[in-house]
Amino acid sequence: MPLAEAFPIPNPYQPSLMRIDDFFDETSDVRTLRLRFVDGDEEREFSGWEPGQFGQFTVFGAGESVFALANQPWRPNGNSEDTPIIECTFRAIGKVTHALRDMSEGQVIGFRGPYGNHFPIDDWLGKDLVFIGGGIGMAALRSALLDVIDRKQEFGDVVILNGARSVADMVYTEEMPRWQDVDGVRVVRTVDPGGETEDWDGEVGLLPNVFEGLNLEPDGRIVVACGPPIMLHYLFLSLGKTGYSPEQVVTTLENKMKCGIGHCGRCYVGPFSVCRDGPVVTWAELNELPKDY
Amino acid sequence: MTEANVTVAESGTGSVPEGWQPHIVALVCNWCSYAGADMAGTTRLEYPANVRMVRFPCTGRMSPLMILKAFEQGADGVLVSGCHPGDCHYVQGNLVARRRFTIFRSLMDFIGIDLRRLHFAWVSAAEGHKWARVVSDVTAAVSEAGPLPAFESPEDWDGVELPSVGDGGPQELTADQLDLLRANLRRAASEVLAAKRVGVVIGYGAGSLPGQNVPKLVTDSSACEILDWGHGCVNNLSTYIGDALEHNDRVAVVVKTCDLGAITGLIREDQVRRDQLLLIGMQCPGVHSGSALAAKCLSCSGDPHPICDLVVSVDGVHESCLDPSDAALDMPDARDEQIAYLESLPYAERWRYWQRQFGRCLRCYACRAACPLCYCSSCIADKHRPQWVPTSIDNAGNSTWNIIRAIHLAGRCSGCDECARACPADIRLDLINRKLALEVERQYGRVGLDPEEKSALIDFRMEDSEEFIL
Amino acid sequence: MDRTQWLLTESQLREWVRSLLDAGNSVVAPVEEDGVLLFRPLTSEERAILAPSGKTRWSPKEFLFPRSEPLYRYTLDGGEVEIENPPAPQRPQVLFGVRSCDAGGLLRLDEIFLSGTKDPLYAARRESTTVVSMACAAADPECFCTAVGGSPVGEEGSDLQLVPLEEGWLLRVLTEKGEALFGDVDERWQDAPAAIAKEVEKLERRVAGQIERSPVKQEWSKTLEDGFEHEAWDRLAQHCLGCSVCAYVCPSCSCFDMNHEANAWCGEQCRSWDACTFAIFTHHASGHNPRSTHQERYRQRVLHKFAFKAEDDEPFRCVGCGRCVALCPAGLDIVDTVTAAVAAIREEGADAAR
Repeated sequence: MPLAEAFPIPNPYQPSLMRIDDFFDETSDVRTLRLRFVDGDEEREFSGWEPGQFGQFTVFGAGESVFALANQPWRPNGNSEDTPIIECTFRAIGKVTHALRDMSEGQVIGFRGPYGNHFPIDDWLGKDLVFIGGGIGMAALRSALLDVIDRKQEFGDVVILNGARSVADMVYTEEMPRWQDVDGVRVVRTVDPGGETEDWDGEVGLLPNVFEGLNLEPDGRIVVACGPPIMLHYLFLSLGKTGYSPEQVVTTLENKMKCGIGHCGRCYVGPFSVCRDGPVVTWAELNELPKDY
Repeated sequence: MTEANVTVAESGTGSVPEGWQPHIVALVCNWCSYAGADMAGTTRLEYPANVRMVRFPCTGRMSPLMILKAFEQGADGVLVSGCHPGDCHYVQGNLVARRRFTIFRSLMDFIGIDLRRLHFAWVSAAEGHKWARVVSDVTAAVSEAGPLPAFESPEDWDGVELPSVGDGGPQELTADQLDLLRANLRRAASEVLAAKRVGVVIGYGAGSLPGQNVPKLVTDSSACEILDWGHGCVNNLSTYIGDALEHNDRVAVVVKTCDLGAITGLIREDQVRRDQLLLIGMQCPGVHSGSALAAKCLSCSGDPHPICDLVVSVDGVHESCLDPSDAALDMPDARDEQIAYLESLPYAERWRYWQRQFGRCLRCYACRAACPLCYCSSCIADKHRPQWVPTSIDNAGNSTWNIIRAIHLAGRCSGCDECARACPADIRLDLINRKLALEVERQYGRVGLDPEEKSALIDFRMEDSEEFIL
Repeated sequence: MDRTQWLLTESQLREWVRSLLDAGNSVVAPVEEDGVLLFRPLTSEERAILAPSGKTRWSPKEFLFPRSEPLYRYTLDGGEVEIENPPAPQRPQVLFGVRSCDAGGLLRLDEIFLSGTKDPLYAARRESTTVVSMACAAADPECFCTAVGGSPVGEEGSDLQLVPLEEGWLLRVLTEKGEALFGDVDERWQDAPAAIAKEVEKLERRVAGQIERSPVKQEWSKTLEDGFEHEAWDRLAQHCLGCSVCAYVCPSCSCFDMNHEANAWCGEQCRSWDACTFAIFTHHASGHNPRSTHQERYRQRVLHKFAFKAEDDEPFRCVGCGRCVALCPAGLDIVDTVTAAVAAIREEGADAAR
């Protein structure tokens, strides 16, 4: 007897099948996938997502891994021509991501989600924005910044600070010129000292230092930052020094997650379940949590 | 738990499904047996087609993990084949492998794997005919053994009554004598701390339950009053040495004689230097398991061992620094009869016995955590590329874990029984360890308390026995 | 609902268990296996141990939240993937002889698996499970249910309750689900007089009196959270060996892992027990680990039991069975830890640097 007959609750762990439509290699170990639903019904029923949400992606035989939904948010609008496409950017670093890296166009993977809360973009209307992404952390910001760029007239100035260890590790290099082309958007690229090449025309320096060097007045500005814990630690110090209040700073927690629905217990920071209550938090909210992330 | 793990009938019970053909996995060395099989093919020799080959660079690369994986995935038999001794492309890979498989084979036999399922052969690149013959023989033997018994706990099975371990053990100490021992211990600990001979004393204090003693780390000579001694001092404190040495140049450890093998092992394996340790050997009244003496104590005199730096007895505290090689531990074990009894049972019965034991395993890894010699910073059970040890907590995964844990300790285990004590499911890991220790000793001789000696399974002799190898 | 209660002899109790088995229930009860007391599905009413000395080695949670179970299965066929749901429970289940603390532990599992996004596998099993608890005839040395708001005769989480009396048992119906377990009540069963309540109270007093632990106070949760970075944690957790005995024998621990168990053709997403005491629990593929030391991991387990509440009046996630105390290979005692941590935090202030 299948479960559905025994107990009429959908199985939250069962993924939808997605076909790899296309992919793009951002760096030697970072890839962006474009995915489409295999099943027409699931495609029609998909409720879309908001920037900041994430999904669980399955490589059958290897397991699941969590990535941010990285393209411009898809919101159902009743137009059947407009089918949802999901993009995710990942670094091949573990068992699942290496297996995923070995897949090619046309192959089928699993997706379940979206999960978690999202960036409060509507609260940012009219404000100046700074997106600060360290390494693969840019992937968690991309959905939000694409949404913002798309509706640029609703926001103030936008600064995008993309930092990487080295020039070869920088993600989204192909598309950054397109972001820069939008009026009122400024893209700043930086690599860690020692990571530059001879023809590098961006900044050289650690993200927090480069940020300080931009001298962006805190007034009326929102900072959206995502990156490795050590980067965030120093970035918060810089933000404090330059007069930003914790309410102005938004980040995402990147704890290890498995279930996506607050049950499996591993992403907890104190009473806060990152997958269910997060991943998007303000610096102010983060200050209320135990230092356990 | 995958569907490929289709196991239908119990070994020896005869109910072989119609048309059943054995699945056999052959792990073969690239340089000889693989080429030998190729030779058999080009010579157009006929032999059964039940064997699936997996090519390895050398038998030395083959781990019991791979044999276990084959069984777990539904193989009925496994053949391991490599170069003849002396012909190894890497000089000695097959010689180390020979020892490893000798010991592994004895464990598989012990837990109820019919040895007709597990074969080893030397087949060179020129021996196409031998390959064909080996495969025919192995296929016939596995066919005779039937389908691999299922990895599952037996239902409604009365179990095996093992012979009782009898009695014995150290001389019981009176309450006054124990008090004297405690006083002497506290004095010794206090002195070594005060004299700054060590930064910390790892000892025992009172636990929260009646009769319980728990590990305590004392760094202050005035705090030595919390140190306790008695039947509840079960832990092998050498487990804590590694951590303690991160904060101290030298540590003192309160030891029972049964703890010393682990410490020698740690020294032998370069985890600690002898001069980083100050061993406080205790006269031991034996430790309790429940309300009775632990089995390991039954054949022990309780006397502190002279390789300790300080020896604490009822009479007082003595400096002692004899050459360790002077004093080998000779401990016959009360449980050897239990092992012999299990070995006298038919395979199916042994399989049931161990499957029921392994079926209880929760995979809490307390056995690993409590073991002084399980010091790897990253355990094979936590590795998932590839996932050699299944994560699923069922009989198949549990069997792999418990077997591989034992095999990784074969020739190294000091018999302190910490794994069995820590096990919340009372799995008789002590019997498995003891069985392997007996087998290692029978084959390769005893490794005693001399840190200079080499563990048996990283060593080899050209003339090592190989009567089971085809 | 009117409370229905009877006095049963041992043979009547076993006959009842027999009838539950005959009615097609899977009856899970304490049995002895190789000298270990464990919950197991009964094949015969004779195997059930009705008056065990001590508690089962671990709680019956595995019958609602199995050690391992498939969340879905899949097959791979030439690049195409087919997914199917795991099998649903085939028959109703009766958890029999569950201690009061363990019955309470099941409610803690409900809080996890039935809140927010419901877990369908757990829910299906929970739906088809009836809990027959057994009040305690004696406390074990490790017991401390009374220190965390429980009672040896507590009814929380039970559908029916058995209370051991000097002669035989009192059986009382506590919920409709419990009532539904009966067809026709055996007419030979003797109704229990209302005065039996006095006997139950007496038992409660006697057994509770055997527990010497002083209560863990609700307001300690806040203190513990405030002292998250207190240096006392280093000291209190320094003996932790980093296994997960505590979590796996615990009636209320519910963390799990999910992994693909697979071969080239098929596989399953397998959920298995996991524990916050393991280093790899929170270890990122990148190498970062928010809880990289034993101390941080042990603290997490203790605080998850006694702090980190959504609401102030939420009960502790510890039910006081004491198994983690009895079975910890390093002899760690969660109540002593909490008490000592609170004392240290209060004495030295929450900010004592780590």
